[in-house]
Amino acid sequence: MTSAFTQPSRALRALVLTLALLLLATACGSSAPADDDDGTATEEDTSASEDGTGDDGDDGAGEDVTLRFVWFEWPPAQALEDFANEHYAAVNPGVSFEVETVPFGQWHDAIFTQFAAGETSFDIPILDSQFIGEAVTGNHIATLTDFANDNIDLAAYPQNLLAAYSQYPVAADGLFDPEGDIYGLPLLADTWVLIYRKDLIGEEPPGSWDEMLEVAAQCQADNPGMAGLAFHGAPDYDTAGITLNQVIWVNGGEIWDAESRTVEGIINDETGLAAITQLVEEMVPLAPDGVGTAFIGEVNAAINQGQACMGMNWVAGLEGMQLPENSTLGETEEEILDKLGFAELPDGAADVSPLGGMGMHVSSYSPNQQAALDFIEWFETAEVQEMWAAAGGVPARTDALNSEAFLNARPWNQAFTDSVDSLRDFWAIPEFFQMIDVHSTQANAAITGTQEPEAALNALAEQEQTILDGGI
Amino acid sequence: MPTSAPPKGKAGRTHPIFAAPPAAARWRWLPDRWLARLSVAPTLLLLFGLFIFPLLYVLVLSFTDYSASGSGDVNIVGFENYGRLLTSDQVHSKALTTVLFVIGAVSLQTVLGFGLAYLVHRQKRGGGFLTVLLLVPMMLSPVIVGAFWRLMLDSSFGVVNGTLALIGVDGPQWLSQQGVALLSLIIVDTWQWTPFIMVIALAGLNAVPGYLYEAADIDQATDWFKFKSITLPIVWPILLIAVLFRVIDAFRLFDIVLIVTGGGPGGTTETLSFHIYKLAIRNFQTGLASAYGVLMLIVVNIMAVIFIKYLERLQSR
Repeated sequence: MTSAFTQPSRALRALVLTLALLLLATACGSSAPADDDDGTATEEDTSASEDGTGDDGDDGAGEDVTLRFVWFEWPPAQALEDFANEHYAAVNPGVSFEVETVPFGQWHDAIFTQFAAGETSFDIPILDSQFIGEAVTGNHIATLTDFANDNIDLAAYPQNLLAAYSQYPVAADGLFDPEGDIYGLPLLADTWVLIYRKDLIGEEPPGSWDEMLEVAAQCQADNPGMAGLAFHGAPDYDTAGITLNQVIWVNGGEIWDAESRTVEGIINDETGLAAITQLVEEMVPLAPDGVGTAFIGEVNAAINQGQACMGMNWVAGLEGMQLPENSTLGETEEEILDKLGFAELPDGAADVSPLGGMGMHVSSYSPNQQAALDFIEWFETAEVQEMWAAAGGVPARTDALNSEAFLNARPWNQAFTDSVDSLRDFWAIPEFFQMIDVHSTQANAAITGTQEPEAALNALAEQEQTILDGGI
Repeated sequence: MPTSAPPKGKAGRTHPIFAAPPAAARWRWLPDRWLARLSVAPTLLLLFGLFIFPLLYVLVLSFTDYSASGSGDVNIVGFENYGRLLTSDQVHSKALTTVLFVIGAVSLQTVLGFGLAYLVHRQKRGGGFLTVLLLVPMMLSPVIVGAFWRLMLDSSFGVVNGTLALIGVDGPQWLSQQGVALLSLIIVDTWQWTPFIMVIALAGLNAVPGYLYEAADIDQATDWFKFKSITLPIVWPILLIAVLFRVIDAFRLFDIVLIVTGGGPGGTTETLSFHIYKLAIRNFQTGLASAYGVLMLIVVNIMAVIFIKYLERLQSR
């Protein structure tokens, strides 16, 4: 082979290689997010029309748009998809909706792995209130402050609910801060309510936390084979952790000091230790078998199958309890509801119930931000909130919560409205997921007897303090 | 290869006597060496893109405090992540859980799998059908298997405790009782993966020459003697390969834990892989989780090397 031949062929090979690499680089190149670098919705994005018709947006104008939510699998997810498709079509026929659902345990992971990739298959992530801190510090959701101030009646909501679903950081008093930034708006409010068997314990619910435990113990003793009180105890996500919080709060304790970011010595003080002892020694013996894996479905099933006298469960998870196909308590809805009562959780040393529910947010990476904002603006109007209530949703506006439409929609809705003032959230901080993992694991360890209550609470306090101090 | 000088023809042109057949037409600018390189390039690219690059990337990340979900600065932390993991009580506890699971599950699967293979091998009729039937669990998705077992093992509504109650036995809380929950995971994994051991052991049993048994029959050897002196020595190396695969697979158990127990009760069924998942995906402590992954890779590789050395020694006897 001559050198004259070698030189051009080397050049040719180099050229081919360069072209191949360029092609590869082009193919692997990622598309830039649709939003500004800091995740703030642009001026155009936040200029949703005053009438909420949604036809003045830049994106999707004249074209059909499918807005995608992501949520976990439970009845309200399908209710939201049906509701949005049915009612928003009259306002903007070019927009349709899909709610992607994932198992409860993978809810956070499904959303944040996409956030981490810088590209999302959804436009409107539905985030638990505690996810907001992580999403905001990672610039994954758009800032809606200007949009909300211009288009949403922020005074129309209970201020504790609005703060939980929309702000980060949340003010020390847990109420909405008009000066603070807004990152979301309420989609579904929620809390625990007490479900009780009227035919077994009487028409009136127990008047206090201690009375509830006494009544449960008596009912269990009077009805062999039945448990006194069903509640959540599974290790997944915040399940057992919320139970622990509620027992500590209602006994007058605290789970941390937000200002000094201190857990050690606060959650495991005398009140906290007494509370976890009550949980393990008084409540667990009243629960159906398998409380260590119990969540919404298990509590509902225990009531529906006649295995528990009372239960504590999320309002939005009660959908279907009244239906004969899900219950052995009666042949008709009326028969079932004759036996079931629903009430606000009884007070102990404090009047408190855990705040659940979620807000709607706009993905920083969504190409349909304007359409999403138009929908949110429409959804948050008083009229639509009442329609949402009638469709089985739990609204967050005060007027909707007190409307006949809501109070008559489901037998447990009055109990929710009664609970609103006592709702309490916790840990809206970026370290939330590390904290809740420890919290639920240790609470589950105590509930299942894997650890002594005091040892579990002390281990919990130590590990959570380490996380807050920047450790593993 | 040396060839004799080609004779000259009438016109003085050379005519090769032992010339190589004409090469297939190809581009002159593409020599064989480059053609070979191009042929393996797609595979190498895939290998690099899907295995080597991620591995190197993970290695680099393991020395940082990177968080995939955050937007903060990334700092080099040296061996801090490794130090934290190696001295963490939590990691030690997960490692113990994983070792207990591996020993329990793989031992049970080996005994049952070999036993089943032995029985199927002796089956004169319907052995093939039986093999296919026994392979069904292995063909199912672990998530589906986990979901069904979670329902079946439910303390209040599960069919297992329901059946035990029929015969007057008060069943344990399979998924939320300390010790029992790990046993439940072993049972689920054994149900699914015993067929894997069985099918490999069956292949080993089929490889045993029939004349050895005939010779043993002539010597009036007992069944136990034939099993001990003929069957087991021949099948053992093949069985060990199946065990190696199962040990590696069981060591990185994740899916069944996630679905069946969620790591409970009190984190006592959290395996190393499950713990990595929590650190990497739930907490987004990407740097720390990367170091964890590297450590697990090293452990699995050491285990595999020891195993393979033992196998080689066994086969060289």
